[in-house]
Amino acid sequence: MAKTHTRKRAGAAGVLRGGRKRILVVLFVPSVERDGNTPIDQPRWVDLSLEMFGRVFGGATAYPKAKGVWRDDERGGALVKDEPVVVHCYTTPADVQDQRKLGEVGRFCRQMGREAHQGEVGLVIGDEYFAIRDFGD
Amino acid sequence: MTTQVDLNKVAKGLRARRRGPVRASGGYFGAMQLLADVEARFRVPRGGGRPTDPNWTERRLVPLAPRTLKRLEEIAARLRERAGTNLQPMQLAALLLERTTERINENDAEELLRQTNAGSR
Repeated sequence: MAKTHTRKRAGAAGVLRGGRKRILVVLFVPSVERDGNTPIDQPRWVDLSLEMFGRVFGGATAYPKAKGVWRDDERGGALVKDEPVVVHCYTTPADVQDQRKLGEVGRFCRQMGREAHQGEVGLVIGDEYFAIRDFGD
Repeated sequence: MTTQVDLNKVAKGLRARRRGPVRASGGYFGAMQLLADVEARFRVPRGGGRPTDPNWTERRLVPLAPRTLKRLEEIAARLRERAGTNLQPMQLAALLLERTTERINENDAEELLRQTNAGSR
């Protein structure tokens, strides 16, 4: 029979009460505009996205620049190459379905899409990719 | 019971289009997810010692094939290099086990049970 140990921690119930943060939300912060050449103020958008995720879901982590490519079908399939910063944020199933919180995330993505002249803003939530292309408020 | 996320509700709230599932279990993205997991969850215990997830209160002996342990050691070493964390092979195993367990919903479990029963006849 396997030897087992169980350790009880006083704070565990409190941590679990709010639900486990097991849903990963990933936001791609681009480095260039849709034309693939004009740089955007990426550090500003990274900071703003961290602040937004901090407010909405309680925290986030931005990773060093990655290399990326996006096919712009509305411009004849032109490949837009950039160096996105990937921002990771863990949240709970309840929070990720909260319409007020989603509204704030959506507004941020549309603002970034609009002001940074993007063709699409991409989010991965759980195992699903979500594309935001309509940046109108 | 696992709480399922209604992705249509998420899409509506974001005013976004669902573009389909992604498989993020491997490659750069999968490794980044593991790093994010470690960073988000691991904490140094109050009494000191190696950082760990405070929710991991249960301990079991898990039999492993040598090649699986070797693979865990290799991946943990790469993640340690990359993130500067002190991730140990069996901590990595716990993360992977937890992730897979959470992804299996009740329907998957029933299907697995059905297949197991069919195979044992």
